[in-house]
Amino acid sequence: MNTFWIITKRELSSFFDSLIAFIMIILFLGFTGFFTWISGSDIFLIGQASLRSFFAIAYWTLFFFIPALTMRMLAEEKKSGTIEMLLTKPVTDRQVILGKYLATLLLIAIALLFTLPYVVTVAKIGNIDAGGTICGYLALLLISAAYASIGLFSSSITNNQIVAFLTALFIGIFFHFLFQMIASGMKGLVGQIINSFSMTVHFESLSRGVLDSKDLIYFASVIFLGLFLTEVSLSKRNAFNG
Amino acid sequence: MKSVKISTYILLIVAIILIVNILSDNYFFRIDLTEGREFTLSKATRNILSNLEEPVTINAYFSNDLPANIGNISGNLKDMLIEYSQRSAGMVVYRFINPNEKETLEQEAVKNGIQPVMINVREKDQVKQQKAFMGAVVSVGDRKEVIPFFQPGAAMEYALSTAIKKLSVTFKPGVAFIEGHGEPALNEISQAYSHLSVLYQVESYKLTDTAEIPANFKTIAIVRPTDTIPPMQLKRLDSFLARGGNIFLALNRVDGDFSTTTGKPVSNGMENWLLQKGLSISDNFIVDASCGAVNVQQQQGNFMMSTQISFPYLPVIKKFGQNPVVKGLESVNLQFASPITFTGDTTKKFIPLAYTSEKSGSLRAPLYFDIQKQWTQNDFPMSDLVVAGIVEGKLSGDMNSRLIVVSDGDFAVNGQQRGVQLPPDNVSLLVNSIDWLSDETGLIDLRTKEVTSRPIKEVADGTRAFLKWFNFIAPVVLILVYGLIRMQVNRNKRIKRMEVNYE
Repeated sequence: MNTFWIITKRELSSFFDSLIAFIMIILFLGFTGFFTWISGSDIFLIGQASLRSFFAIAYWTLFFFIPALTMRMLAEEKKSGTIEMLLTKPVTDRQVILGKYLATLLLIAIALLFTLPYVVTVAKIGNIDAGGTICGYLALLLISAAYASIGLFSSSITNNQIVAFLTALFIGIFFHFLFQMIASGMKGLVGQIINSFSMTVHFESLSRGVLDSKDLIYFASVIFLGLFLTEVSLSKRNAFNG
Repeated sequence: MKSVKISTYILLIVAIILIVNILSDNYFFRIDLTEGREFTLSKATRNILSNLEEPVTINAYFSNDLPANIGNISGNLKDMLIEYSQRSAGMVVYRFINPNEKETLEQEAVKNGIQPVMINVREKDQVKQQKAFMGAVVSVGDRKEVIPFFQPGAAMEYALSTAIKKLSVTFKPGVAFIEGHGEPALNEISQAYSHLSVLYQVESYKLTDTAEIPANFKTIAIVRPTDTIPPMQLKRLDSFLARGGNIFLALNRVDGDFSTTTGKPVSNGMENWLLQKGLSISDNFIVDASCGAVNVQQQQGNFMMSTQISFPYLPVIKKFGQNPVVKGLESVNLQFASPITFTGDTTKKFIPLAYTSEKSGSLRAPLYFDIQKQWTQNDFPMSDLVVAGIVEGKLSGDMNSRLIVVSDGDFAVNGQQRGVQLPPDNVSLLVNSIDWLSDETGLIDLRTKEVTSRPIKEVADGTRAFLKWFNFIAPVVLILVYGLIRMQVNRNKRIKRMEVNYE
């Protein structure tokens, strides 16, 4: 437990020391802030005291933001060979993966924390729905967690950052809208099952303000599967090298 | 060999995850965290369900092979019916029928009044039109109620609950619409009538000088009387109030005539009666900057041009009080209205329901309408004039009773034949009033449940621009400040470390 926490802290501070964290968070806040407040279907245009439009925009920006965070996590260590050093230390693969994963999640949580002025502003100019807002943030954290695990997996299968980024986006696109698109043209049980794979469906269900065990289990499944496959992929590499 | 093992291992895990997810579709719990419990059965529905005396059967005719986005409706309906069944302790039984399966089932659906809709389905790279059934039949004993079509995102709960309520209420409270003094007949208030007849026995009734109002009427509505109501008949209303009855009154004190462009006060003998109840409706015209428009024909060269001109005599009411009657209403359009003031004593309580905007005024009748008038700020010196309100208390005799007054008689009148289509909130104001007067408060919540509007406050342009840019820039500045602090801290650390090395 302790080792895994050390890895998390080290990763997080390397994010901030390397300026990547700042650039990414500023980009994220800039994009979401711009579309939530300045242009498009911004809060004043919609005229509703709700952060639904922010959640919908953040859902898209996070989709691009997260692969960019996770792409270097394992790919770079593999390329520079430092992964061997790390893995030969008395730490398990799982500790390395969870440590890096948690660091990513914390960074995203920090980025989301900086949007608190939005909540305060909307609560000031209207009657905000507290439960719905909390659920919205929870939904953003959960999709981030899901995409981060997909990103980590993509990073584990290659030693090229760009390939890792594109792979994560490619897998993400299916969850983000392709499953839903495919399902809308399909009928019957198969269509329903494919539809239930869609991240958007679960994100919308949760972000409207209803905690549903179905959605929570779905997110937990995607997160688990991503991390599990990352571990398998890392252990395979060890097997080849060992 | 090893890789085979790994792949079976992966497959096993994936299979387990899939099974857990499929199971979670059937066994789930839900916590609705929204403030209005928007996604939970309302109290009104729960009341209806717990008071069921006979079993209710719901046959949902839904085509099975619908595209997923429409198929969701049947999913939502199913979730909802599960709740209905649990809340009613099994008194609600439901069944999903796929009419596309058999010709006989399709005929059964059509015979029950469910019409198929045509939808586009993509199949093997071709777009096909397909018949889809998306309705339900609710039945109790041999009576039945048809919901022909569930619209995506529509008030599903309202449709189901009203259908069940309509079937399960054996006794509908009576509501009388007074006739005989130029009031519109029931078919002239068709929109309100169709809403009200779901839950009430709506009848028209002629007041007489001698006969008491029948006991089965709980609420009386008097809408736009034009002729004088004789004092003897007003006495009948008094004795109705005295036994605890409630009255809804929509009254014109001024009227405008577009053909002569004049407006004049009107009177029908109710003024003194209202004064006794503590209400005074002045015979002035309200003008409001928030208003509707009139079509004006203008000669432009050889052409007649029709232009829309704002007409402050038609106030659009957007400000409402805190009563269930007006809960969820957004805008009610009035045709000529007058200010209401409360002049009663402490035995009566007055609750204002609807107000004019910040920019309004009151003009003395009679007057000429100057359509071309350029209205300025100075024409609207007043604000928050009351155009609808409730008086309750001992209005007559010793029993408590309630009276709702709206100072425009026409707001809920469709007119003869087909009539005009009214804004939905106009109808809601009348229907909610009757609901509230008839003490069915739970249903008001249900009706307005789909109206989940949380408007933001009016902010000045400057503040708005500030808020926009503040929220855009503040988070970025915050993170930059954090970055600078962190850099400084790190530099200090480094300097310290270097100092240590020199020692």
